Amino acid sequence: MFRMLISPLNQIRTCSSVASAVNTKVPVPDKLFKKIDIELRAHEPAVLKSYSWFMNASAKELDVNVEKSYAPEEPHKERKTLLRSAHVHKKHRVQYEYRTYYHFITLKHLTGSTADTYLEYVQRNLPEGVSMKVIKTEIQKHLPHLKPPPTSQ
Amino acid sequence: MEISMRGWRLSPIGCRYFSTSQTGSARFGGERKVEKEFRKDAATILEEEKNGVFRVLDIGKPVSSSMRKETPRRQSLARCAPPRHSTMKPDQDWGNVWPAARTFHPAVVPLPVRQGVTQIKKQVIPSKYANTELLKIPNFLHLTPPAVAKHCSALKKYCTQWPAGLDTEEDVDRHFPVQVITSDYLNSSSSVRDRRSRVVTLRFKLSSLDLDHHARDKIIRLLGDRYDEVEDLVSLTTDRCPYRGQNLDYSKYLITALYFESWKTEPWENKDHLDRESYEVPEAEINALQQALKKVLNSGEDEQTLREYKEAARKHLSLPAQDINPICV
Repeated sequence: MFRMLISPLNQIRTCSSVASAVNTKVPVPDKLFKKIDIELRAHEPAVLKSYSWFMNASAKELDVNVEKSYAPEEPHKERKTLLRSAHVHKKHRVQYEYRTYYHFITLKHLTGSTADTYLEYVQRNLPEGVSMKVIKTEIQKHLPHLKPPPTSQ
Repeated sequence: MEISMRGWRLSPIGCRYFSTSQTGSARFGGERKVEKEFRKDAATILEEEKNGVFRVLDIGKPVSSSMRKETPRRQSLARCAPPRHSTMKPDQDWGNVWPAARTFHPAVVPLPVRQGVTQIKKQVIPSKYANTELLKIPNFLHLTPPAVAKHCSALKKYCTQWPAGLDTEEDVDRHFPVQVITSDYLNSSSSVRDRRSRVVTLRFKLSSLDLDHHARDKIIRLLGDRYDEVEDLVSLTTDRCPYRGQNLDYSKYLITALYFESWKTEPWENKDHLDRESYEVPEAEINALQQALKKVLNSGEDEQTLREYKEAARKHLSLPAQDINPICV
């Protein structure tokens, strides 16, 4: 956006040809992702199942290559044993448990535009109680200046 | 007793109340008949006002039985509008009814959903009306298959194709040897920041870099644990800076520094004969014996290498070929 600076003393107006010259965008090359790992965690298995169905369906629609999509059968359980009473009664305890259900999805060979589109769509529809971790493996060329120094040759 | 407790408030005497054994009408000689004054309903009041009757305050007057029947407490349910789903057609566009994520509404959702657990088995599972469990759990009614297809067809134009020449992993590794690994985290907290997303890992094969023998040896020593000999993989993990961009820049600097440092030869780096990893003989002194000895010392002691060494030594020392003659006694 080209902003006009109008001073109270002298009103400077820029002409449109100058504005258009400033607005030219330099094209940025698309990134390439060898692999994108997505880890989903939730306390409700039904919600996680529905959401993983949605992720796979939208990947299929957008032509995203899903290499793996699996969920371990058993959730991770964290148990706590606490005293049942506020005072004394050591023999009587109460046990609580947190269950974390997982789902892992691996996407293969994505461009930056596809990855951004797919991930934004999927993340905007992330339901309450589900968390997502995205690990992106981008592929790049070596830095151009990594060549043998001239003195050694 | 005909005189009710409410009547004493209207007495002109004030708060004084006295009871009589006779009824009101009998007290006054049976002339005046006390009519119970009931509260007037809204229609009567308005009509009387039109006719010129002044509106009088009627606090404390009882409500007549006919008016009590009209109060909309129990009849409101019967007179309510039918649920919205009863007028829905099966071929309607569900995406227009439920376009975005929304709390479950039993009158809008046409499904006969039941949810709950009863302690007595004979009891019926609670229906969708006034069911808080259905309200609490997130629903996916806005992400039905046709809705997902519609969304994706609109988003398709923002996606690009994977380049044609990079189908196999070997092609990918050949053209793009460096892997930059970063991670993102989605939280339900008020902040979008996550400190773990600053970590950057750089991975590449050492064979993709242009190094001579000395440079390769030196860079492996500099890398230490970060180099995997079996897979020829270098992994550089950077998390020393608070932002990902800073860590990316630092890792680029690290590769540059490692590369150019490995090409430098310090004066103390010149290895003596004893420091060298492999047995090396200068070109001028090489002969068959030295060649065989080199094989034994560098490749390891093997039946074949030892046999070759034996043969080379025998020939060098001009010894006759070994004849195994059984000792005849």
